[in-house]
Amino acid sequence: MTENNACPIDAFQQRLAQLDETALDQARATLVSKWSYAAEVYARACVHCGLCSDSCHYFLIDPSKESVPAYRLKLVTDVFACHQSKSRKISGARELDRNTVDEWIDCLFGRCTLCNRCGLNCSVGINIAQMIRIGRSVLAASRLVPPELQSTVDAAVNTGNNMAISREEWFETIDWLNGELQQEVGDPQACLPLDRAGATILYAVNPREVKFFPLSLLAAAKIFHTAGENWTFSKEYYDVTNYALFSGDDTIGGMLSSRLIETARKLGVRTLVLGECGHGFKATRWDAPEWLGQTPDIEIKSVLEVVEDYIRQGRIRLDPRLNSKRVTLHDPCNLVRNGGIVEQSRAILKAGVSDFVEMIPNRLQNYCCGGGGGQLSMTRYAKRRLAAGKVKADQIAATGAKIVVAPCHNCIDQLSELNRDYKLGVEVKTVCEMVADAIVGTPAS
Amino acid sequence: MDLPRLLVVLSAAFALLVLTIHYFRARRWGVKPVYAKIQGTPRQALIYTFTAGMMPWSKESASKHLPTFIVGIIFHLAVVAAVVTLLAAIFVWTLPSLLKSVLLATLFAGLACGLGLFVKRMVVGYLRAISVPDDFVANLLVNLFMINAAVNLIAGVSTVFFVTAIVLFAYIPFGKIRHCWFFFCSRLLFAEFYGYRGALPPAQQVHHD
Ligand code: SF4
Ligand code: SF4
Repeated sequence: MTENNACPIDAFQQRLAQLDETALDQARATLVSKWSYAAEVYARACVHCGLCSDSCHYFLIDPSKESVPAYRLKLVTDVFACHQSKSRKISGARELDRNTVDEWIDCLFGRCTLCNRCGLNCSVGINIAQMIRIGRSVLAASRLVPPELQSTVDAAVNTGNNMAISREEWFETIDWLNGELQQEVGDPQACLPLDRAGATILYAVNPREVKFFPLSLLAAAKIFHTAGENWTFSKEYYDVTNYALFSGDDTIGGMLSSRLIETARKLGVRTLVLGECGHGFKATRWDAPEWLGQTPDIEIKSVLEVVEDYIRQGRIRLDPRLNSKRVTLHDPCNLVRNGGIVEQSRAILKAGVSDFVEMIPNRLQNYCCGGGGGQLSMTRYAKRRLAAGKVKADQIAATGAKIVVAPCHNCIDQLSELNRDYKLGVEVKTVCEMVADAIVGTPAS
Repeated sequence: MDLPRLLVVLSAAFALLVLTIHYFRARRWGVKPVYAKIQGTPRQALIYTFTAGMMPWSKESASKHLPTFIVGIIFHLAVVAAVVTLLAAIFVWTLPSLLKSVLLATLFAGLACGLGLFVKRMVVGYLRAISVPDDFVANLLVNLFMINAAVNLIAGVSTVFFVTAIVLFAYIPFGKIRHCWFFFCSRLLFAEFYGYRGALPPAQQVHHD
């Protein structure tokens, strides 16, 4: 959203320039309101050993102090310490002033993907990403989120999806995909249902699929159709993404996720299935209940859990020979490390591809692709993002794979850019696309 | 119990008391209830967090920094050795000579490691950047504690040892050494976060590069 019809970047610069004591006081108050037992423990537990440094892909490319996860953690805890007892000041305290705000924006937004690889490897177990997000929350409350990221959030709030896709465009895409699906499965009744009341599954997707990758929607539709699933899309709220996770705005985050949960309720659907989107999964499955302060009365699952069940139950059958090229898997941080969906993608790919090779390291220890944390939308940090992506590019190159599978459309965007910039010569696909390519029908057929 | 010994015990009790107060004050910031439906095996995640999860093959902070990890372990073992020596000095235990030798060896090794960590903190640029005076003070205090423990074992000098112990205990709650308590709180939160998600314990061991 713009202010006084000014361009968002100008408005952002203006807000920065006009930061006065009152605004800074509000920011300090927000920091205190966001503080929790966990934050306090983490602030007191860090021993400044620096051993988290090379767990961060930013540090591996640029070993400066700003790239050390503990430095970013300290940026937040030092400001908090400044407002606490005197004894804490010996541990380093820092006033929240204009310089600190500048550094917060650059380090907390511009040098972190909130992947928490550092936290997993911290010698003490500090959830550093959670602490960095607290800093982002303070900036969000002060309306100091980089405008490119904020406009993604605003688009989702105002239009129902982060790409501001109109209803007409959504319906047209579905219409076109209906025809494609009927051809693909040879069934004139096949369709991508919209607002089907009483369906078993409500499927939410990344709007990028609608806009740029409709074939990944087709792939999911083919899987559901073949499995005989009673599923539906929503006419209104189908966006699985939730960029408030990255901007740090819990209220908006809760609102965006509750739209999906409410839609499922209204349609009488018991299971909300989240498409291949890492942060969307984490936000809706794990964070939204905390933001909303209640346990959802519907089941929330990743599409990977659903597809793995189909394979195990024999509802779909795959022929791995149909995917004969060497395939490797990228583990999206928010789906795997921070979401707990670790083995499902592997089980699916092992059933559907003939030459699967793991990246090293993998699973929880996999490196971030570099596109998370809102980096893809914050164009001002694009150079840094692509430089930090070298770690992932090297990982991919070492596998010798021809196809990189990533169950996350954000990761797919970043991986596609890495593919181009680092000349990897790979195809980048979703898990559902691989499955759709290998489907040979149900056992009955 | 004479006055120096009593003061050591009192300073240890003071440290424990202030740490407990810190803990309850930390809880006053609010323990966030978990509303998301839990999956996985949180109990096993908890066990993993304090066992296999601490091993070098489970975390890069150890596997990529094996020398520092080993130095850190020796340093902490030496702290334990110094505490055992302190207990013996307070309660006038006669330690078997073999145990004395083991304690001494551990203390000297720990001292070397402590000084090594001090130097590393001074010379490695990014480490210096995240360091605060407390990091150096805490290191020196612990080193001093270990030196005096060794002197006590060799020459039976207790008074300086007791004074160092009193200063150290009084300092613990206000500096980084408080991690002796908050480490466990942090690891518990770690176990909860990954355990509730079913991400830990890992179904398969990850290969590191
Ligand atoms: S590894 Fe953990 S304890 Fe050590 S500096 Fe990093 S955040 Fe702090
Ligand atoms: S969360 Fe990820 S990007 Fe951010 S500091 Fe940690 S390792 Fe680096």
